[in-house]
Amino acid sequence: MTPEPKPLLTPEAVAAAQTNIAKLIAELRRVILGKEDMIDDVVAALLARGHVLLEGLPGLGKTELVKALSRLLSLDFRRIQFTPDLLPTDITGSHILQERDGRKEFTFHQGPVFTNLLLADEINRASPKTQAALLEAMQERRVTTFGETRVLPDPFFVLATQNPIELEGTYPLPEAQLDRFMVKVEIVGVDQSVLEQILMTRVHGEPPPLDAVLSLDGLQRLFTAVDAVHLPRAVANYISRLVAATHPKAPGAPEPVRSFIRYGSSPRGAIAIGAIARGLALLRGKPNVGFEEVRRVALPALAHRLVLDYAAKLEGWDGRRVIEAILQAVPDVERGLPQTLEAVKS
Amino acid sequence: MTDLPASVRPILRRLARRVAVGLFLEIWPRWAVGSFLIAGTAALVCRIFFSNAAPFLPFLWLAPLISIVPVIIVCARRAYHPIEVAALADSLSGGQGMLLTLLETSDPTWARAAALENLKRLRMPRLRAWSRLGPILASAIFLVTALLVPQRMITGPRTTVLANDVVADLKTTVEELKKQDLLTPEEQKSLEQEIERIRKDALERVDASSWEAADAMREKIAASLNQKEDALNWAQESLARYAAAAQAGKAPTAAESDELANAIQKLAQSGMLDDAPSDVKKMLGSEDAIAGGTFQLPKDPAALKKVAAQLAQHLGDRSRRFGELRQLPREAGRFDPAEFGEFNYEKQPDGDGDPGRGGISRGRGDAELTWGDESLPFDRFKSVALPPGSVRGPDDWAPVAALPGAPKEGSERTFTSTGMQFSGTAGQSAWRRTLAPRHYSAVKRYFENAESR
Repeated sequence: MTPEPKPLLTPEAVAAAQTNIAKLIAELRRVILGKEDMIDDVVAALLARGHVLLEGLPGLGKTELVKALSRLLSLDFRRIQFTPDLLPTDITGSHILQERDGRKEFTFHQGPVFTNLLLADEINRASPKTQAALLEAMQERRVTTFGETRVLPDPFFVLATQNPIELEGTYPLPEAQLDRFMVKVEIVGVDQSVLEQILMTRVHGEPPPLDAVLSLDGLQRLFTAVDAVHLPRAVANYISRLVAATHPKAPGAPEPVRSFIRYGSSPRGAIAIGAIARGLALLRGKPNVGFEEVRRVALPALAHRLVLDYAAKLEGWDGRRVIEAILQAVPDVERGLPQTLEAVKS
Repeated sequence: MTDLPASVRPILRRLARRVAVGLFLEIWPRWAVGSFLIAGTAALVCRIFFSNAAPFLPFLWLAPLISIVPVIIVCARRAYHPIEVAALADSLSGGQGMLLTLLETSDPTWARAAALENLKRLRMPRLRAWSRLGPILASAIFLVTALLVPQRMITGPRTTVLANDVVADLKTTVEELKKQDLLTPEEQKSLEQEIERIRKDALERVDASSWEAADAMREKIAASLNQKEDALNWAQESLARYAAAAQAGKAPTAAESDELANAIQKLAQSGMLDDAPSDVKKMLGSEDAIAGGTFQLPKDPAALKKVAAQLAQHLGDRSRRFGELRQLPREAGRFDPAEFGEFNYEKQPDGDGDPGRGGISRGRGDAELTWGDESLPFDRFKSVALPPGSVRGPDDWAPVAALPGAPKEGSERTFTSTGMQFSGTAGQSAWRRTLAPRHYSAVKRYFENAESR
């Protein structure tokens, strides 16, 4: 049964939200030069209250981005440098035996996960057990130790980073764990003009000072506005067809999917696309999600959720390339024009 | 769609109409091609197996029109829902989703959104149906080809009945003639073979040519019977004169003997002597001699008289049989002696007879030319001495009657050619032209010969 459609955001509400988001993005672009798309993806994911996996070579501004976000959003920020000897309790916290008033008792000391914005640097360096501790916290937004459950702060974001090189001694995140990240953003290097700008505007690469642009309340209002963005049924149908096409046995799956994908995306992928597309629509000043937003966010939202076949590695296919093929093959509307009609570009 | 801005509704209506036309042109060609192929196959089957359906085959051209009915039903079932049309419009105008949102939420707040401005600039999709219509032409050519295939008349029980009906009266005729011993075994065999050939041809195809073949054969039989009767009559007359001469005590002249011999030979060739008394045959010689014309009439008057008497009796019997043939009722076995004009010696109208019986008294126009079957040179063109007083000299011709067409005598003139001779004459004046001198001398020579005879 289709729920009653909620009233659309008013133009004033959309304008106000767009203004706040634009300020945030503008400030981030002052810190991270030459990566507009990456910033948009991260902001959209944050507005959708999702976790972000950043993959890129060292020195491309991953940590600076997270630090800037924490400053601009007035959020509590913690950083964990993942190493092979990191223990789960180093993330979640542990009970420590303390003497107080002549009595010895266990006291829980919160781990760095108890924050608003957590930067998990080089998450693939820690052991799977440690990774699981963080990922459980990401999913549940709570921590359970010694039978006691503690809720994490709200909002709670994890921005994890991965180094695509130096894979010796690392523990790649399993696919089930990757699914918990709403988007995976690949950070590429900067071009010459951006380097020049960095050199001219930064001393020792230090970012400019930043002031908060949004309070916690403002952020909560943004979250509410994003949730109110309308998702038309036809667009939801498009999202569902895209996700369904990632499965090799699906009827409409394109050839690369049938050849190189072992397992497709879970429903979390469709939910992630819908959520991020809402954030992107609001960022663009729209009260609704359109086909264009879905096409824009499908790649970062789905690429890391596919389980590739060994043949994909041999042929040089990765998740991004497969998603690009799916976007080419799956049309916007389920029932397109009759074959006797040809669209004319306006 | 009443919740949409007024500026958008006409665009969506136009798109809906264009999509409906496109859908129709997507579905109908397949049905049209299928209907043409089915019609063409049906036409081929009817052409080969069902000749009775030939008059109805042109109606097969209605097949593609009839196929529109199920196409309309299919189009109605597959018609685009207004939401689907709106989704198409939204996608074609940039995919902003605003149109779909307005349709679903009916919120007028965003009726003037910038996204709807793109919709106003939406260009209708172009029709590209020619590739779909091409196969229709090919299938139509198939139907045309099938309709141009000649109709095959199948051999079925009805056709067999028809074929038998074509030759039924011929068979009856031959049976009657055989019963009357008017056919030699060779003639009978030849006729039966010919009848069977006609019947087999009629089994393949019953049309006018079958009936014409039967009519031609009927005329051939009639002509053969006429020949036989003519030979019989001639022989009887010759025999009568011969007998009269013998009775008068005069020796038959050589001409009379020759005439009688020729008549007997003709009788033998026509098979009329096959069942003659053995005495007659013995007296005339061997059968081969009789048929070859090398027989000899007995020189002994008594024997000659006996031969003549027995031959006359035999010929009388044969004549009686011819008479019996004439008496056969018209409906009995469909043997119609009245068709043999010479039997009754009545003036038969020269023209068509009854329908289905041919009626061209001179035979079929495309009948095979045969030589040697000309009418026997007897009694028609025999010279007969004119009675005295009726011979007129060509010098003093006088008109017997003033007829408009009678030639009138004119002065002799010298002409160089026949063309000049009759030049200047046309129409009725041709009947009044002067008799040419060489005709003049030919007529004169004729009458001079008659007098010397």
